Amino acid sequence: MKRIPLAAVMAAFFIMLVWFVSVRQAILYLVGIGMGMVLAGMRFGFTTGWRKLIEQRDPSGVLAQILLLVLAAAVSMPLLAAFPTDLGAALGPPSISLIVGAFVFGACMQIADGCGSGTLYKAGLGIPLNMGILPIFALGSFLGSAQLEQWLSLGAIKPIGLVTVFGPWEAFGITVLGLLVLGWAAVRWSGGAVKWFDRRLLIGAILLAVLAALNLVIAGQPWGVVYGFGLWFAKIATAVGVFDPASNAFWSQPVNLNSLSQSVFLDVTSITNIGILAGALWIASGKGEAAFKHPPLSGTQWLVGIVAGFLLGYSSRLAFGCNIGAMVSGISTGSVHGWIWVPMAFAGSLIGVRIRRHFKF
Amino acid sequence: MNKSTRLMVFWVLLIAFFAWDWHVSEPVNLRKEPPLIAAGSGQAPSGGHCASTF
Repeated sequence: MKRIPLAAVMAAFFIMLVWFVSVRQAILYLVGIGMGMVLAGMRFGFTTGWRKLIEQRDPSGVLAQILLLVLAAAVSMPLLAAFPTDLGAALGPPSISLIVGAFVFGACMQIADGCGSGTLYKAGLGIPLNMGILPIFALGSFLGSAQLEQWLSLGAIKPIGLVTVFGPWEAFGITVLGLLVLGWAAVRWSGGAVKWFDRRLLIGAILLAVLAALNLVIAGQPWGVVYGFGLWFAKIATAVGVFDPASNAFWSQPVNLNSLSQSVFLDVTSITNIGILAGALWIASGKGEAAFKHPPLSGTQWLVGIVAGFLLGYSSRLAFGCNIGAMVSGISTGSVHGWIWVPMAFAGSLIGVRIRRHFKF
Repeated sequence: MNKSTRLMVFWVLLIAFFAWDWHVSEPVNLRKEPPLIAAGSGQAPSGGHCASTF
């Protein structure tokens, strides 16, 4: 695919958004393109980083993710304190649902070789399994949100925001301390046998932190991925008459009913998701077919991958976000739920890499 | 199926969904355009997010 026609199409969509939707959404689309380019161009994979730590004792990916979290928190926490009514944190409730959801998500992201952002950018790159998973991910995300009330009834407490409880600098200090402990544990686990730092990933972390901060400043809410997926499928389910949002605890909320009634181009997470897909497509267009040669998957591998993709979507809603909404946005905006998400998802990944090996992915 | 064909099918389906959604959704009210920059706008964020409950 040629880059000039692709650039023309991407620019035309940007102008369409400015003219017919809103300037803010057009700018967020550009932010999403930047995210997609960084994720795909730098191969900044959250899933791969964790897998390399588990299987190869290579901490470089995890350390880059920790740098991303520190930088994003350094910008987000003071901003949240300075604009408490204009900006919102990614606050999810500590709950049974979160514990179960994060664990299952961690396992499935290893099997499907992609978390929330990973599935998006790999689909944008044209990787067959991730392209196939995307609509199933959306279905799972929709069903998870539709059943969230039942899961929350198992036990939940109110969301805890460190910025609100302690103030921005204290919250940042606590966050950095926690991240230093995680970094220290990763380096200890590696045994110092391999290189700690990967320059490409560190640059990717810095760029993603800048883009995540821009998302917060422009949209008023942190970067998210899976809400948009659930919304897309909820719209289809509502249109074909198999789902009544008015009778559902989650979708009957005014904010969600409003999202269902208006174009997805007005939804913040949808527009950055579209941008991520477009940014990854741009990266794919600069590479030849050889760069995307994958051994064909067997029928069993496809089946396992699709089931994992469905569970990714479902569990990400139970966990109040994926690696982006819960981990990056949760931790960087001071939500305690992000700190529960990480160990549970990592525990799930320990199982997931074994399942992945079993099915010879 | 090669990469180009896969990507073509994927994007055609995606664009078809967006076109259908644009057709069936409420028209965009440009008079209610959200602020360009939320920080400092004085308006509370109004979108859904993965971490939100109800």
